[in-house]
Amino acid sequence: MRMKPFYRIFSFAFCLLSLNSALAQNRQVTGTVISAEDKQPVPGVNVLVQGTSRGTVTDLDGKYSLDLSGTEETLVFSFIGFTSKTVPVQGRTVVDVELELDTKTLEEIVVVGYGVQKKSDITGSTANIKGDELLKQPVLTATQAMQGKVAGVQIISSGQPGSSPQIRVRGVGTALGGTTSLYVVDGVLTDDISNINTADIVDMNILKDASSAAIYGSRGANGVIIITTKKGVSGDLKISYNNNIGFRQAANLVEMANASEYSNYIQAATGNPAPASPYDTDWYGTILRNAFQQSHNISVSGGTDKATYLFNAGYLSDQGIILNNDFERFTLRFNNDYKLSDKIQFGFQSSFGNSINENAFGNINIDAFGNVGSVYNNAYRASPIITSIQDGRYGNSSAYQNVGNPLLDLNNNSIRVNENRLQGSTFLSYKPVEWLTFRSSLGADWRNSLNRGYYYQFNADENTFLVAGGNQLRAQSSLIVQNSQAFRWVWDNTATITKQLGKHDVTLLAGVTAEKLNFTFLSANRNDIPADPDLWYIGVGDANTSQNNGGGDAWARNSYLSRVNYSYNEKYLFTATVRIDGSSRLPEINRWQTFPSFGVGWQIHREGFMENQNIFDVLKLRGSYGKVGNDQIPTNAYTVSVEQNKPYPFGGVLVPAIPGVQINQNIDPNITWEITEEYDLAIEFGLFQSKLTGEVNYYDKKVANALISVPLPRTGADADGIIFTNAATIQNRGVEVLLNWKKLVNENLSYSVGGNVTFNENKVVGLNGGRAIRGGSIGAAQGFTTITDNGLPVGSFFVLNQIGVFNTTGEVNSYINNDGDPLQPTAKPGDFKYEDVNGDGRIDDEDRVFAGSYQPVAYFGLNGSVNFKSWDFSIDFYGNVGNEVYNGKKAVRVEGRDNVEKSVVYDRWTAANRSQTEPGANTGNQLASKYFVESGSFVRINNLTIGYTFPKSMLEKVRISTCRAFVTSQNLFTLKKYSGFTPELPGDPISSGIELSAYPTTRTVALGINVGF
Amino acid sequence: MIKHISYMKKMTNQYSYKMKAVIVVVIGLLILGCSDNFLDIKVQGGVTTETDPKLGERLVTGAYHSLLQGDAFGNGDVHGWGFISVTSIISDDADKGSTAGDQAVPIGDIDNFTLTPTNRFVESLWSGHYNSIGATNQALKALKVAAIDDTERKKLMAEVRFIRGYIYFNLVRMFGDVPLVLRVPVDANDANTDPAFQTRANVAIVYDSIKRDLQYAVDNLLIKSQSEMGHANKGAAQALLAKVHMYRGEWPQVYALTNDVIQSGQYDLVEDYATIWRQVGDNNIESIFEIQTGQFNNENLAIDNYIVSQGPRVGGSGGWDDLGFGFNNPSASLLSAYEPGDLRKDATVIAIDNSGTHVGTTLWDGFRIPSSDSVQNLFYNYKAYTSRTMETFARPEPKNRPKNIRILRYADVLLMHAEAIVNGGGSGDADALVNEIRERAGLAPKSGVTIDDIWQERHIEFAMEHDRFWDIVRQGRAAQVMMAAGKTNFVAGKHELLPIPNSQIILSGGLLTQNNY
Repeated sequence: MRMKPFYRIFSFAFCLLSLNSALAQNRQVTGTVISAEDKQPVPGVNVLVQGTSRGTVTDLDGKYSLDLSGTEETLVFSFIGFTSKTVPVQGRTVVDVELELDTKTLEEIVVVGYGVQKKSDITGSTANIKGDELLKQPVLTATQAMQGKVAGVQIISSGQPGSSPQIRVRGVGTALGGTTSLYVVDGVLTDDISNINTADIVDMNILKDASSAAIYGSRGANGVIIITTKKGVSGDLKISYNNNIGFRQAANLVEMANASEYSNYIQAATGNPAPASPYDTDWYGTILRNAFQQSHNISVSGGTDKATYLFNAGYLSDQGIILNNDFERFTLRFNNDYKLSDKIQFGFQSSFGNSINENAFGNINIDAFGNVGSVYNNAYRASPIITSIQDGRYGNSSAYQNVGNPLLDLNNNSIRVNENRLQGSTFLSYKPVEWLTFRSSLGADWRNSLNRGYYYQFNADENTFLVAGGNQLRAQSSLIVQNSQAFRWVWDNTATITKQLGKHDVTLLAGVTAEKLNFTFLSANRNDIPADPDLWYIGVGDANTSQNNGGGDAWARNSYLSRVNYSYNEKYLFTATVRIDGSSRLPEINRWQTFPSFGVGWQIHREGFMENQNIFDVLKLRGSYGKVGNDQIPTNAYTVSVEQNKPYPFGGVLVPAIPGVQINQNIDPNITWEITEEYDLAIEFGLFQSKLTGEVNYYDKKVANALISVPLPRTGADADGIIFTNAATIQNRGVEVLLNWKKLVNENLSYSVGGNVTFNENKVVGLNGGRAIRGGSIGAAQGFTTITDNGLPVGSFFVLNQIGVFNTTGEVNSYINNDGDPLQPTAKPGDFKYEDVNGDGRIDDEDRVFAGSYQPVAYFGLNGSVNFKSWDFSIDFYGNVGNEVYNGKKAVRVEGRDNVEKSVVYDRWTAANRSQTEPGANTGNQLASKYFVESGSFVRINNLTIGYTFPKSMLEKVRISTCRAFVTSQNLFTLKKYSGFTPELPGDPISSGIELSAYPTTRTVALGINVGF
Repeated sequence: MIKHISYMKKMTNQYSYKMKAVIVVVIGLLILGCSDNFLDIKVQGGVTTETDPKLGERLVTGAYHSLLQGDAFGNGDVHGWGFISVTSIISDDADKGSTAGDQAVPIGDIDNFTLTPTNRFVESLWSGHYNSIGATNQALKALKVAAIDDTERKKLMAEVRFIRGYIYFNLVRMFGDVPLVLRVPVDANDANTDPAFQTRANVAIVYDSIKRDLQYAVDNLLIKSQSEMGHANKGAAQALLAKVHMYRGEWPQVYALTNDVIQSGQYDLVEDYATIWRQVGDNNIESIFEIQTGQFNNENLAIDNYIVSQGPRVGGSGGWDDLGFGFNNPSASLLSAYEPGDLRKDATVIAIDNSGTHVGTTLWDGFRIPSSDSVQNLFYNYKAYTSRTMETFARPEPKNRPKNIRILRYADVLLMHAEAIVNGGGSGDADALVNEIRERAGLAPKSGVTIDDIWQERHIEFAMEHDRFWDIVRQGRAAQVMMAAGKTNFVAGKHELLPIPNSQIILSGGLLTQNNY
């Protein structure tokens, strides 16, 4: 292997240094430094022997050890962001210290990849959120709680219980590569944190730019989020409990036509009224509910100077707003640290999570007809003249209009995903001398998922329906079970040298990591299983209907990494990193790649010439460059697989068919990672005793070789007509602005206001010689609604330009091309008039025009808080402007009897009003046009919380140390232009922002309490 | 806890030296463990061309499998709903059916000749046929190097070339000039850059390729009795090649090839016309080539939507569990084309009881369809009926059950032979050939049959069998027949062919040209 020499030097150094440890013995002092505010360990604290230049720095867990000679008696603890403390040793061997927060500075310590750094020393772009901030919000994942808090990080959430939100760090950096950010949970690399209890998190650090993420090399392109979980602190045993209990509902519903409005519309569209019906069904009212949600956490922590422990148990239950949709999660965490000797430490972080997701929306998709079918979509389409259910029998919307009765769908399926996850890491660190630390950490993540789907038997007869007929039926009950397991391990070995030589401060890190994943699944299904849930096992079913399947995946990574941090006189900063990554998922020819980065910083406020001013407390300029990759490509992207199970029944109908195979895919054998190069320039400042702090950041990143599935001619022997290749170059440029104002007015009153805004410009700057990628195919007569083309943002909407509505047949006949033929010969009065953009004399796909992008021009978060005596109040807003959304559900109306929105009934073109913006009554199958493109700008009150902290005097009597009660609301109010359910629409880069059957944003109101004993 | 800690402390003191050793060993292990092949992980569960020892033979089965494509809304249709639409619904024999609005865009547009280059069914047919061509080309490539004996290799290659010829025959009849792809692209770049993949070859050149493929099949396949059921055989290749020549007006070849089939003694007409489309008629003596359906993995192996799309549909006052979506209804024009007393009418058409007496319609297996006030349409295709009770299926419950599609019947050979005689391709008794067919239909014999008589016989004999539209285009009277049937949107010189899918034209950057759309 190419890396061997590196290894040898590394191991030699190890051997050498481990022998070197038996140095001169002196009186030794050890201890832990914690923050007085949150009792969490503070890493990076300078511990100096007073009157000397000797000292050390606390480690990740806030621990230090120092040898004192005979006369030395006093230690000085100092750390930026905290008030320094001078502590006499007085003969003790353990000196634990609590540091008070120095509110005047914005200095803080942050966890960067494979180590920690002072925020002021950082030359790249990172953002940090404290656990408390996350915990305030009644949401499932910490990712969701991050929304609006960090400039440059856009969180798009579907609101569905158990789902993970989508993260876009500084714009869309890929078209068809993976978009999942990398999470590093206590050193374990993962792409999903839905198993992590937010209450377990101390802080999250987001590495936004390529120079900070480059230490994660080929995994850094979609941003890196480092999560540190809580640890015990030496001292008394502490118990705390917190909860929140509330309910949620759909925040914005689209009003549909009622029975008479519907009838009126059908009459206008077809000339015939809808059949008379005694019913007037509100389908959304039928399938939606006010949902209950609650979460509880209890934690026990404490420790001695040699060991600390933390135990946390959490329970969360989250009903979906759609009937029968429930999510439950139970988590356990046990984090322990041991000091085996002065030089050796050992610890582990471990968590277990179990979640049960019942009838998650999206798993139910049973329109037998092959249309876009989901319960939610069916509720949009089902006619109000069909009842949902009467006396136990369902209204037959299927027989009437080919749309399954959504209530029946919901009641006739039980789809459950039961997931267990064991995640943990353990480390051993060895510090032979004060300036050198070896650390080996082994992380593991085991994930077992048991999916079970049961589908009830029912006929399209009068036992099930009020009227028999239609296609909504299931001749046999069926049960499908799938069990999957994923196991991943990662082993990091690093050596860190920290040396201070006069004004020179150097930290050097070198390390090697290896990672491997194995995944297998096994599934089985049988029919004819009774409806009793106790019998829902494969063995119960008809063996003659049994089927099974299985498969797996495996990959490995191997990397070498190094970082040097250098600062001179705390004024001039320099950082450089390099990571060399190898992955089994790439062909051997381009398997290894190098990801370098460097950054420089200038702490202007520490210069002599700044001494005589009192405006700036902090003024820092920094700039960086880095290279990161995105290795999220399918494992088999570069090999041609032989497709199995392509049988043919030569022997006739009664004999099982002969299995056959096909080779029906084409590949690009040279497929490689996407490479992002990014430049980052920023100024950070603190003014007026740091009451006003802020940051302005400019970035320019270019993704070369963006993976894209390029359409292939159908003649190219490829079954889906697309191949993965490194085709595009995508650029994101933007500015992030962050401002915060904090003021302590007096003892009783303090307040803060702050905000961040990100302007991003996304553009495809090179695309395989200019051939556009079409996406967003949504069915009906819509075709592909997006285009990814040179000069345009990724996944731009690309539709016809409607230029009015035909009022008369005369207008239809006079809308002619150069040959005098009508451009839209089949149009009727009330139909849209489309522009013949290319002037070829006909209206077709080639007349589509750019109609905006789902990517916002800017997105922002605003927050404010007030603390008055025992009361605290906080509010934050989140929003974006300048993006468009495509009202897909409205556009794919394929069946003339489908219901329409109330506004469609009232605003429609009529011969009398001659509207030029709304079409007349129609039977659907409209062409994709700008009509369906709507503004996606919105602003939302993301969270509003009012809390009350009970006075200590009151609590002492009941032996409670702290107690705070609060009421919180998530997503209380949204201001939006969009007429659909929500403009927040996650999706693939080339088909995002399309509302087809979106889960509506939900609004939550909850009460909670935090108690410490 | 305290105990635990003190134990640890003790241990640390005693063994700290060992701990260091452990670290060194651990690091050492990492170095050794990280051998060169740590990153050499093969794709799990993915069979590659190197790991399948019977690749060639299995690809042949896969090529046959490609004939079962029926994903009209998606990535490929060969004999599914798209096929039904562009061979039957498009013709004068059938109407779209179902409710007026149902599938008005892809299918209604085809029925009414308002279709555009973005028609989904048309696009899926294009994809489906080229998927099949890809499957055959892959099989041929693998067979060339397969470790099998030469006779077997030739036989398998002949079967595959039969399929490729058949697919191109359908493709050329649907689209006219088409890209002639006879090899597997090396990789994606090759498929994207070699103009052969995106340039339309002249119809004549495509037909030459079809003839070469089918001639190879004729030369290397054995007659029916010496071949396995379901596989292409010599008779099938001869009959198909005859039909190809008929579409090219090459009557001596039609004459000779049909004569070979007739003289082979392998085929005959069955007595009861109606039984041909039942399970008892699968691969019967009259069958020359049919698409096989059946079962696989305890599941029906059927063509998606082929049966269910054509099944009688509930309507009006409802009250019964219907059989399908109600498309492809025999048209008034077809019904009026039958001579009185023609037995084939009741075998082809399910006529819904519209008498007001509510007796309903009882089918051959005893299944009763209610009368017209509970049924959406008045006529349905009997040749697409499957019996849940009297026929056998792996799973009888689904409405879309397996049904073999009869592609070539002996009756076709007889009528092709007659047409060749009438067109001077050879000498013989055309009357006798036609009357053999008419006799089975319970009709009086004709004498001195003309070309029109033969065309009329073809019309009725193969009604709802996907032959009609291509037949009238071949006969050069598509416009005339369409006008007569009231399908007045038909534009001569345009609607004989389908539009080339717009997406493919865009992809080709203009290399691929459009038909007269």
